[in-house]
Amino acid sequence: MAASLLAVLLLLQGDSATRAAGTTAFPYPPPARPVMAVAQTVLINVFVNRVDAWVFNQDWAHVGPDDWARNLRLGWEWDEDAFGTNMFAHPYHGALYFNAGRANGLDYFRSIPVVFFGSWTWEYFAETYRPSLNDWVMTSFGGIALGEMFHRVAATIRDNQARGGGRTFREIAALPIDPMGAFNRLVRGQWGAVGPNPPEHDPGSYVLRLGGGFRYAEGWTTDSGTAQLAAVIVDLLYGDPFAQEYRDPFDVFGLRLILSAGGGINVLRGSGRLYQKNLNSASARIRHVLGVNQRYDYINNPAQSIGGQSVEVGVNSRWRLGSKGYGLRTALFGDFIILGAIDAPATGFGERNYDFGPGVGARAEVALERHGARFVRLMWQAERIHAVSGASANHTVNFVGAELNVPVWKAFAVAAHATRFNRTSRYTDGSPTDSRNFTEGRLLLVWTQAGFGP
Amino acid sequence: MRSFVWAGVLALLAGGLSAQRPHRSGLWGEIAPGVGHARLACAGCPDVETVNGVTTQFRIGGTISRHVLIGVETFSMIDRPFGVTSEDSTSAESGTFAVIVMWFPGKSGLFFKGGVGTSYGDFVIAADTSSGVGMGLTFGMGWDFPISRKFAFTGNLGTYVTALGDIVLPGRRVDDVIATMYQLSVGFTFR
Repeated sequence: MAASLLAVLLLLQGDSATRAAGTTAFPYPPPARPVMAVAQTVLINVFVNRVDAWVFNQDWAHVGPDDWARNLRLGWEWDEDAFGTNMFAHPYHGALYFNAGRANGLDYFRSIPVVFFGSWTWEYFAETYRPSLNDWVMTSFGGIALGEMFHRVAATIRDNQARGGGRTFREIAALPIDPMGAFNRLVRGQWGAVGPNPPEHDPGSYVLRLGGGFRYAEGWTTDSGTAQLAAVIVDLLYGDPFAQEYRDPFDVFGLRLILSAGGGINVLRGSGRLYQKNLNSASARIRHVLGVNQRYDYINNPAQSIGGQSVEVGVNSRWRLGSKGYGLRTALFGDFIILGAIDAPATGFGERNYDFGPGVGARAEVALERHGARFVRLMWQAERIHAVSGASANHTVNFVGAELNVPVWKAFAVAAHATRFNRTSRYTDGSPTDSRNFTEGRLLLVWTQAGFGP
Repeated sequence: MRSFVWAGVLALLAGGLSAQRPHRSGLWGEIAPGVGHARLACAGCPDVETVNGVTTQFRIGGTISRHVLIGVETFSMIDRPFGVTSEDSTSAESGTFAVIVMWFPGKSGLFFKGGVGTSYGDFVIAADTSSGVGMGLTFGMGWDFPISRKFAFTGNLGTYVTALGDIVLPGRRVDDVIATMYQLSVGFTFR
């Protein structure tokens, strides 16, 4: 039923899109198809729900009018899902909704209602459970942040001017990052068509670092000594706030992924600029820019789980050193956590072992760099989360770190990272204050690919 | 009350005839009294409490583009019992302070609103006061009906989702309170 409806919509909108676009397979700007974007979010929900109901026979997926009526009557509650489910899987699901909008010609802002609509309809109509407020927030805001970053990363992987096997490989490689983009391109015959690339394909300046090595962690579990784990790190700086004037949300962003043996995704953090204003001349040797960023944080390891959706405001600065592209960069930001999550003893509710709450924080960073690639980096971050679901508590987190990249041969470098994490939880119900520290070191072989210029 | 309703109807008619483009530009402000309906849920509670009350809303902001405005908004809903107890000496207030974005998709006064910020709840029971602070989200829509170059009536339909945390009442504790409020109001918009 839903597939038939989608096929009809695709035919109708494909026809109007062709008329609007003329002969090219890749019109720019792409024609906006809001009806198709909304239809695809409904299709995502129907598809995921039916797979869970018919293939996996999940009780919660067997929904009907009685469940819908009850959900509409009772409204929001907090759920008890695992940290990884709520803080990573749901935002990834939200990215599908968001990119249903982006893949149908809607820009960042016009895709926002699509993700809120998709998440809201899932919560009210796709589960027998009552709608979960934390799911709606994490899916929507996390989906926006991850969705826009995934959309842009996928656009850099795809190349509309490539042909043959290499072209197919690129399309397939981008699929898990942006499934909705891949689906729409496939349906529209764009997997093999040759044409111009969208502006997102070329970020101008970028730095991509891939690293592999080991993490050494002290105090990951309360009774352990030092743990050693194999780890892979991906660092991406897409765009440069000083090389490019602000054009669109997330035209500059940073993304870090850490995969670790035994735990899968340990870290996924991204921050993209929503707005930027020059505070002095764009041609000055010392530059300051006011920035507003949207941030997504997911940290999940045996010692600590913390994450959330936030917006930060602050100043990025760059001091040029000499004439060979070296410089000193600083960042000083304050942030507002729309909704965060953190684990601590005696937190959570039911089967959930962590709290939800809004918060505030700040971060500072100093880095020695060349053309945007950092060689030495010192950072500090503090966050405070006020729990509104789980324990009656205020959680404070302090994080300090230092990173050193030493070039050894061509694009390869040896990287050494050291971080110190502290959490202090103060409970308002009389429970004793709890504190947790852990120290981590990383030794990595890193490959760097960088591009410079606007 | 009746004259208030008639004023709204007249404004609607006048606005419908004259609206050619979004009314708000530059610095603008709006105050909007109205009525509200609230639904309170808590962790482990088998059902929800629902109450009605009066609402106040104040917005002020600026213009990003012809179709997009940004501003801040305060909203509060007051009800004496507010569902948490039937004692006569009880009063309750819940509200939201949020950064909002208003989007006027066309040339008419129709707009959609979304915002995020902080929320609060104050519960006075006998001599005891309990309060909660947390997260607030708001979504809504409305219509500006210009009356003059500087003034418009604005119809608002909004929802406010506020997560207040634990509310400690005499003799019991209500965990993880979520108050969802629905608002219908007529605003006075100046620019």
